[in-house]
Amino acid sequence: MPVVDLELVRGLYKTAGAVRRKLDIAPRFKPGDHVVARNINPPGHTRLPRYIRNKRGFVERDHGVFHFPDTRVAGQGDQPQHIYSVRFSARELWGNEASAKDSLMIALWDDYMDPA
Amino acid sequence: MNGVHDMGGMHGLGPIVREENEPVFHKEWEKRALALARAMMGGEHFNLDEFRHAMERIEPSRYLRSSYYERWLEGTITLLLEKGVITQDEFDARLSDLAKGEG
Repeated sequence: MPVVDLELVRGLYKTAGAVRRKLDIAPRFKPGDHVVARNINPPGHTRLPRYIRNKRGFVERDHGVFHFPDTRVAGQGDQPQHIYSVRFSARELWGNEASAKDSLMIALWDDYMDPA
Repeated sequence: MNGVHDMGGMHGLGPIVREENEPVFHKEWEKRALALARAMMGGEHFNLDEFRHAMERIEPSRYLRSSYYERWLEGTITLLLEKGVITQDEFDARLSDLAKGEG
């Protein structure tokens, strides 16, 4: 039966279970790029919420390379790729009754977006 | 998955109520729930993404009624059973013992 021991747990708390990867993977986007979120509806795990799908925004920042959650759960491996902070206007998300001044930033993986 | 956890934009859930001077844990068992989930991930019985998905798979009406650590505990139990770390019989026997005060 698999066992977890104290040394393992001490080591875990030193690394904090990091999911960032130091890999030289080319980003598909850069800050300032206009993007449209994909309309994917996987029955499994994703971190692309419904309210963002098909919406248009722009990339604020590239956070570097991380594991890709969707494939990590589907048994299709880590598929490391860039995560970006992407800004969407409130009106893009919630319609013309929303404030013209407000916007929302969300962290999106490379595979969640296409160029707009 | 398009589950109830994906709440952005929903109406009717009421305001977010912030608890003043909220403790890190409200109950002692929550400390063990946190430690158990972390240890299981450290031991590579499941990964963080599988853990989140296990919580997303909680039956919707129970998901909405559950606290943060109740979801952590249920997600952990689901994965320990699915991954074969414990068997359903072992789990049921333990619950039975606890119910009889023999735990």
